Amino acid sequence: MTRRIVSVTAIVITAVLLQSTVFSELRLLGVRPELLFLVTIVLALLEGPNEGAIVGFGAGLAQDMFLDQPKGITALTLTLLGYGVGMARQYIVSPSPLLPTIVVAIGTALGVAFYEIVSFLLGSFDLSAAEAVRIALLTAAYNAVLTPILYPLLRRIVEGSRPRRVVRF
Amino acid sequence: MGLVALSLAIITLDYRQGQSGPLAAMGRGAQAFMAPLQEAVTSATRPVGDFFSGLAHLPSLERENQDLQDQVTTLQTEVSTNAQLQAQLQQLRDMLGLKSSLSPEAVPAVVIGNGLSNFHYTVTIDKGSDDGVRVCQPVVTGSASSPRLVGQVISVTPISAEVRLLIDRDFSVAGELATSSQTGLVVGQGDQDLQMQGIPTGTTFPEGDTPEYVFTVSYEIAGEHGRYPPGLLIGQVSSVHEASNALETEVSVKPAVDFSALEFVLVLKTNASEGCA
Repeated sequence: MTRRIVSVTAIVITAVLLQSTVFSELRLLGVRPELLFLVTIVLALLEGPNEGAIVGFGAGLAQDMFLDQPKGITALTLTLLGYGVGMARQYIVSPSPLLPTIVVAIGTALGVAFYEIVSFLLGSFDLSAAEAVRIALLTAAYNAVLTPILYPLLRRIVEGSRPRRVVRF
Repeated sequence: MGLVALSLAIITLDYRQGQSGPLAAMGRGAQAFMAPLQEAVTSATRPVGDFFSGLAHLPSLERENQDLQDQVTTLQTEVSTNAQLQAQLQQLRDMLGLKSSLSPEAVPAVVIGNGLSNFHYTVTIDKGSDDGVRVCQPVVTGSASSPRLVGQVISVTPISAEVRLLIDRDFSVAGELATSSQTGLVVGQGDQDLQMQGIPTGTTFPEGDTPEYVFTVSYEIAGEHGRYPPGLLIGQVSSVHEASNALETEVSVKPAVDFSALEFVLVLKTNASEGCA
């Protein structure tokens, strides 16, 4: 269990670090990816709603610490996103290898939209609706492009640190 | 569900307490923890990033080269005139006994990271309260003789600081048009050019290709000085729309700083007042 917490924490810190350095220079039409959204969705997809919600909360809180915003908005968004994707998992039967990419794209778009709405309600969002939609869709597209690269890596780390089930006879 | 409730509680708490609450302190702790890591990653990846941004700019390089050569010719002639004027100015200054440099002490800093969000424009620099950086202080780049405005410090840790950039939508600064001396409020617009508000209709702008520059302006209201020293270059007017039904002219200003390639900055140690962020 400890090993699990350590590896997920390491993933989250790496994601924050990459997003604030490398990916701020590799922008797609002015938009950077939301790596913590991606991490939350992938982990929820692999591990289910409970772990999805917990990872989402942690990752969101980590990101909130670096934003000039009321803290907790990203935590709320990602908790719900992790839970939602984890729950949606049981209705998905497709074995398509494209599945993670599609789920990440839809999840990111919905998550960013939710985040925009909450920060709008708190009065800390001053973009036009068109710009808000544009950013949500571009972020989703960017995250989708990164998924085929990051999904196998995340899956390997997560499955490697999964607690071993003790089988008694 | 507990986590949802906890998130909501955190939002409420932080929303009510602002910069003084425990969560803001936690945020500063996290930023201080991350700063050395960001510094390491940035110094390792900057050459790679420069390479990619160089590739992106490749098609426009040839045209740019031609433009620059034309500019060099024009500037060379200007330089000779300027030298003459400079000498004259120096003479007059000496006569008046003015101090030539009124600019406050500055701390040089390196940009080690960018903000995480797609909705806000901030950077992290490698100097913090240990080096005398305080919230509200202005951040500039360029040489001491021609400083260009970058933004303003919004939070500090002992070893790093967050700077809100000029282009952030929450950023605004009083600006002055160089030729007409009209003042207005310059507001960040994200990826688009800055907007300058409050310019009366009928303001004259230079004809043709002569650029019109916008500088920070000094003012004093009830003994309180402006946040920025006067004369920092904000940018260059890129378009002017005469709105026939409005009382003012809409002016777009292209920032003087290329924020995608920002690397070294100076924090001006002004006696900034608290509560500006």
